[in-house]
Amino acid sequence: MSVFLQPIYTQTVGSGGASSITFNNIPQTFTDLKIVVSTRMNNASTLGYTTIRFNGDTASTLYSYTYLDANLGGGPSSSRSSGNPWFLNVPGASSTTNTFSNSEVYIPNYTSSNYKQGILDTTGENNATSGAWLTEYASLYRSTSPITSITLNDLFNSASFVQYSTFSLYGVLRQGV
Amino acid sequence: MSMYPIATTTVGSGGSTGVTFSSIPQNFTHLQIRYSVRGTNSGTNDFTYVQLNGDGGNNYARHHMQGDGSSAISFGQTGSGIGAIWAAQVPFASTTSNVFGSGIIDILDYTNTNKNKTVRSIGGFDANGSGYANLSSGVWMNTSAITSILVSYPNYAQYTTVSLYGITTSSVTGA
Repeated sequence: MSVFLQPIYTQTVGSGGASSITFNNIPQTFTDLKIVVSTRMNNASTLGYTTIRFNGDTASTLYSYTYLDANLGGGPSSSRSSGNPWFLNVPGASSTTNTFSNSEVYIPNYTSSNYKQGILDTTGENNATSGAWLTEYASLYRSTSPITSITLNDLFNSASFVQYSTFSLYGVLRQGV
Repeated sequence: MSMYPIATTTVGSGGSTGVTFSSIPQNFTHLQIRYSVRGTNSGTNDFTYVQLNGDGGNNYARHHMQGDGSSAISFGQTGSGIGAIWAAQVPFASTTSNVFGSGIIDILDYTNTNKNKTVRSIGGFDANGSGYANLSSGVWMNTSAITSILVSYPNYAQYTTVSLYGITTSSVTGA
């Protein structure tokens, strides 16, 4: 069987929580990257915002996204944004106890000298008919540099990831069978 | 390597109301189900359902977003009478022949006893003039490790296939 999905790093948040997670020195030997996130944030809301930035780039001009979203309190909607980093909708402190996100980020051609495109699927579940989020993002990182590091943290730099949150980075090899 | 096939079931000529994966190995980090399904029921289409550890009680919340080619809707349920989480809608008897729906279901940290189990899925089908695209999720309000999964529908048609994979976060010796 082909070696197509290879674990690179995994981080599990300990009892003190974590304000950010960074994957450094990402190997440049794969074709695509996949990030799997199961997290919960300690902000006082049913919803937390886990941002994703690359290579330490914080310039808002580098990031944009288009999304399809359902906040289950209302119908689905679609919109786009420029100037915000990529992010995942995840449960916040007011969501059902012990409930964590189920999120995946797929980034093809992360070593390319073209801009980087990503697909993000994320759910912020909650034991309620409303106050839960389902979102799919198509996101753009307008940099021609290879991705060598990835940082995840709170959009507002005020909340933390709670204990037992897990973040896993995989390398994907597209190769012939 | 980090993704391993655990089991696959193909529905035979008599059809089936569900596929159960039991005695799931506890040495992976995440689980993924990939399926190709069709129903034999008439009337209206229905969802594929995911039930964990045989719990058919009122211990789930589930949410769903779908598009049918002309409009999109979303909705959620919690409380009594649920007993399972939604995955994507399934083509049924009046859908164009030989059309099977497909989907992927992800369950993270399935052995972690500090977490309720959250299920996320994408899927749907196109039948050349009809169809649905779906994104679904749900939570099982239970922190137990998952040892069995029932993937069900009122009646799956022959040739329906459902496969379970285990995903690790480290390489497994000998893989």
